[in-house]
Amino acid sequence: MNKSKLKNYMMNLTPLFGLAALFAAFLILGTIRDINISYGLKSIINQSVVVAVVATGAVFIYTLGSFDISLGASAAVSALIGGMVYNRTESVFVMAAVCVGIAVLIGLFNSVLASVFNLPVFVTTIAMLSVLNALVLVLIKVNGTGSEIAIPAAAVKAINNTPFKIAVLLLFLLLSIFIFSFTKIGRMQKFQGSNPVCAKLSGVSEKKMAIIAFAMSGIGVGLGAFLSIIYAPTLTKNTASSVGMDVIIAIVFGGMPVSGGARSKIYAAVIGAFSMTLLSQIMVMFNLNSGIGQMVKAAIFLLVVFLATSDQRGKMLPR
Amino acid sequence: MGKDVIVKVENMDKCFGTTVALNNVSIEIRRGEIQGLIGENGSGKSTVTSIISGMQKADNGKMVFKGEDWVPDSMLFALGKGIGMIVQENGTVPGITVAENIFLGEIEHFKAKGIVNRKEMMRRAQEALDSIGASHIRADEMTARLDMQDRKLIEIAKIMVKEPEVLVVDETTTALSQMGRDIIYKIMEQMKKENKAVVFISHDLDEIMNVCDSLTVLRDGKIIVTFSKEEFQEDLIKTSMIGREMQGDYYRSDMDGSYGEEIVMELKAVNLDDQLKDFSLQLHKGEILGVGGLSHCGMHTLGKVLFGAVKPSSGKVLIRGRELRDEADAMKERIGYAAKDRDSESLSLNASIRDNIAIGGFNRFALRGFLVLPGREKRYVQEQIDALSVKCAEMNQYVSALSGGNKQKVVFGKWIGRGSEILILDCPTRGVDIGVKQAMYQLMYQMKKEGKSIVIISEEMAELIGMSDRLVIMKDGELKKEFQRSEAPEESDIIQYMI
Amino acid sequence: MKKFWALLLTAAMTVSMLTGCGGSSQPAQADTAGNEAGSDSTGQTDTGDNAAQDIAADLDMSKTVKIGILVSDATTAEALAFRTYYTEYIQKQYNVEMIYSDELTDAAGETSAIDTFITNNCKAIISFSSFDRAAQIEQCEGAGVYYAVATGTLTDEEYETYKGYEHYVGAIGPSLDVEFETGYNMAKHYLDQGTTNFAIFGGAIPYYTEMHIYRAAGMITAMVEAGGDGASYQGAAVKDAIIGQIFADGEVKTGAIGNVNILGYVGGYDMDDAWFGKCAQMAQTTDLEVILAVGNGSDFFGTAIAGTDVKIASVDAYASSYGEAMEAGMLDYLAGKFSASIGPIFIATYRAALGAPIRTADGNALALSQGYWIAENVEDFGAYYAVDSSVESPAYTKDLLDTLLTADYATFENFVGKYSFAEIQNM
Repeated sequence: MNKSKLKNYMMNLTPLFGLAALFAAFLILGTIRDINISYGLKSIINQSVVVAVVATGAVFIYTLGSFDISLGASAAVSALIGGMVYNRTESVFVMAAVCVGIAVLIGLFNSVLASVFNLPVFVTTIAMLSVLNALVLVLIKVNGTGSEIAIPAAAVKAINNTPFKIAVLLLFLLLSIFIFSFTKIGRMQKFQGSNPVCAKLSGVSEKKMAIIAFAMSGIGVGLGAFLSIIYAPTLTKNTASSVGMDVIIAIVFGGMPVSGGARSKIYAAVIGAFSMTLLSQIMVMFNLNSGIGQMVKAAIFLLVVFLATSDQRGKMLPR
Repeated sequence: MGKDVIVKVENMDKCFGTTVALNNVSIEIRRGEIQGLIGENGSGKSTVTSIISGMQKADNGKMVFKGEDWVPDSMLFALGKGIGMIVQENGTVPGITVAENIFLGEIEHFKAKGIVNRKEMMRRAQEALDSIGASHIRADEMTARLDMQDRKLIEIAKIMVKEPEVLVVDETTTALSQMGRDIIYKIMEQMKKENKAVVFISHDLDEIMNVCDSLTVLRDGKIIVTFSKEEFQEDLIKTSMIGREMQGDYYRSDMDGSYGEEIVMELKAVNLDDQLKDFSLQLHKGEILGVGGLSHCGMHTLGKVLFGAVKPSSGKVLIRGRELRDEADAMKERIGYAAKDRDSESLSLNASIRDNIAIGGFNRFALRGFLVLPGREKRYVQEQIDALSVKCAEMNQYVSALSGGNKQKVVFGKWIGRGSEILILDCPTRGVDIGVKQAMYQLMYQMKKEGKSIVIISEEMAELIGMSDRLVIMKDGELKKEFQRSEAPEESDIIQYMI
Repeated sequence: MKKFWALLLTAAMTVSMLTGCGGSSQPAQADTAGNEAGSDSTGQTDTGDNAAQDIAADLDMSKTVKIGILVSDATTAEALAFRTYYTEYIQKQYNVEMIYSDELTDAAGETSAIDTFITNNCKAIISFSSFDRAAQIEQCEGAGVYYAVATGTLTDEEYETYKGYEHYVGAIGPSLDVEFETGYNMAKHYLDQGTTNFAIFGGAIPYYTEMHIYRAAGMITAMVEAGGDGASYQGAAVKDAIIGQIFADGEVKTGAIGNVNILGYVGGYDMDDAWFGKCAQMAQTTDLEVILAVGNGSDFFGTAIAGTDVKIASVDAYASSYGEAMEAGMLDYLAGKFSASIGPIFIATYRAALGAPIRTADGNALALSQGYWIAENVEDFGAYYAVDSSVESPAYTKDLLDTLLTADYATFENFVGKYSFAEIQNM
């Protein structure tokens, strides 16, 4: 019994071991190939933090067994509006607040729309993806120079540093962990994900859960948008365009069950985001062309999903 | 016992991790006989049959089938050779037609020049359905549209079309109404007549005693005893199943059937499709109200309506005089509901015992009903586990790993723990061992005495009669008849109102 | 347990894929270098030792220099031609390792890629990506990594800001004046033949891309000059006014410019059905004689003009598909970048990385202009393409480029300025 408990515990930690292994590989291979490791670590944080923040919020949606395909577009719209607001107010704080506000509004709109039309939420997010992408073009055309909306790099220089970004990530992570593990809301979310019918018959409101999940995800998206602006203050129509897909990969990579439910973990997002970046960095060391790099990533992605589900397949013991 | 032995199992062992499922089991299955296997959940009865029918492999031991070594490597292989099993779980694929389910994996046989001869397949499938007496199912129907019983019948047809020489029926009848059961009984009788063998596994002692020619009792992975028909004696069998004599009452012993004056819940002229027709009902404080009927009489829907999970199209559902809104509202009013389909509606199988119990108890252990502190939560969950003696390794164990009885205990724990005043229990003892059953009956009686109200919806007449203060019989969505406990109704009195 | 093994498998697979790839790329490189050493005396191995001594005693070329290449386009003919020149020619001739970025899509991608290059000890970065030029330059300057713009130029304002940066190598590419002239010459080519009815494809004008606006302005200026007395475009009659007008409108207006007519205009790269519909409609305008494209024209209009007398003139690169388009009558005139045009900026960057940067007389970063090769018929195209696509002897061969390794600024400037096909062939 203790042994199985231990085994279970270790299984849960597998993604963490994966991250540690990738980290070790980065250090060892980096030393062998004589790369600038300290610079590399800084750049890994820079490259991971946006996806990590957005993915952390998105875990709430994935926990419900749902998903949101419009996260990247939502981040882009939030960042663009945030940038526009900065150019009018010249206040970084207002810009951050607007980024988060817009993203939360988009999230709420998604979930409320789904509830009004009685659709699965991911269906509305598909529609939202087109709407938001169009909005990105319009915003840039109307408010920018036609191809970009830029804020002065000097404006965010003071906070474009690793400690600030890590702090934002940690604060949001702590908030998410608190809600996820230490409140009724988080527990209901997980339960909803593991069996919606039973959850309904246990007084859990599917709509309320969806709205809360999308609001939390909105906060993550907004913070991600804010961090994107800090990282690269010139916003174009492609800003954050890869975030949507990266978030999905990161969450799965971090050991989050694709179907959500009881085994959902908040920290999966952070582990996944950092693992992915480390993996990319390791591949760059070998100067792989991006095609092969993508293939390696895809192979690992499939294996991770296989591992995650094989555990459940083994559970079909007849008695 | 001069009958031919068709299957012989010798010294079989099987472990799942550290759990010993079978311990040196030897058993013989004879032609022309219906052999019962009985035992509490986890006693190993399904394990032994699943090994015989190729679903899994034994760790040790030897099997002989028709005089030859028997090492089946799959269920399909076993079925091809003549041993078929109708399993407990649902074995049909919902997204395809009935016929495709019946000939699943064999569609190739209907192929000519790469094209499937659907007409022929449909014809053969319909034949198979007709032959087992399930003509009401059409072979070209989509499986998903059928209810649990009809899907079970499809599985039976799928097995029977192969004309097996040994048929294993594993807990199948619990999912079936009388009509479904009759079909299975007929098939078993037919097989017996044809000098083939049947192994019948059931929880229902009455049923098994009626149907079987001999009865083997398993406990903790070991064969305890085998009774022949003439030795069948209920008490004796029960004792050998649980390994001790049963103490105290099975149901409740009093016959007064009194309850409070106060009406806690009331249905007023409720209509819902063909499930409930102008249906009115009152539930009193401290009352155990039994609701009986055939599977499709609307009583299961009634349970959901009482919990606010299904909205009636007209009429009122009143809780202490005001209208009930939804499930959350029902829970606020201290109503609890255990669904008939326990595994998919009352429990989240891929979640822990802790998750399943805690989900109902935030009002009890969460600070301000919101903040979850692990220590308080664990204490609360452990209290429920202890109070109901849930047999488990630890509270973080997945519910899917528990036996039927223990699963139901978790459901009870979830509702009782949060302080439910009204319990709506739909088939609460379905697939539950005798020992646990008895404990549950006593618990219900205890709750009644504490002034709580309980609605038991059940297809088992005996438990309805045994437990109810008042018993209502439903047919086609209508209330047909009401009995008081004091009238001491007999099963035969009741059944005439059901059919 | 099963999970553990699967994990181990993943790890093993990853490692083997990585090492497998890494391992195989090295010998492959060595192989080709060896082959060349066999057939040609100036193989890579020589370059490292003898050649370095021959050319410049003070340049130590024995160590492999890693250069990061930022690309925002990895698929068009032009991008592929550039890439081929660097990876298949330059990398084999010089002791350098070119590390390409993924196809970048935004400024954040640029920043990440530069970070990655710096981590991997790239000494210099050559950029084909321009989402946020300023941020790139600042980032490289901060990290002490040399930075060069491969094609294109900085605005005057940007150049003023960054020309003194120690690690900003400079830019070599068509200046906006060259872009203007390219458009002007293209239009003039047809105006001289008596053509009066034009349509213009404006490419990225709606996105306010300067090089496209200047090309269009050049075309219109030529039309104004040819349009007779008092001809003007929207009231503008001189270069600067015309440029300003297009900037203000974000598009080219159709209408008469004296005797010359702009009958149609399409801009943007929407690539949706409506947009393709507009393209087809424009190509079939009555009386239309020539479509002047600020970018690739034949891909969008070629099919629509099939069977008519309408001609298409494009600005792009020397790709085989344009040769086919010319033969099929879908393309009549091409102002094309040649792939070796990025040779001089490589040398400038390489020199900087080796510690011998080339600066202007005032010690500033390079800002040199370079233009297009103009093919007015299939024969021209064939000749240019043969040279341009060669990985054995491209337009700028190692011999030519080597002369730049020790050249002073005046020599370098002079070399870059002689960019036409004929001039290079005469070098």
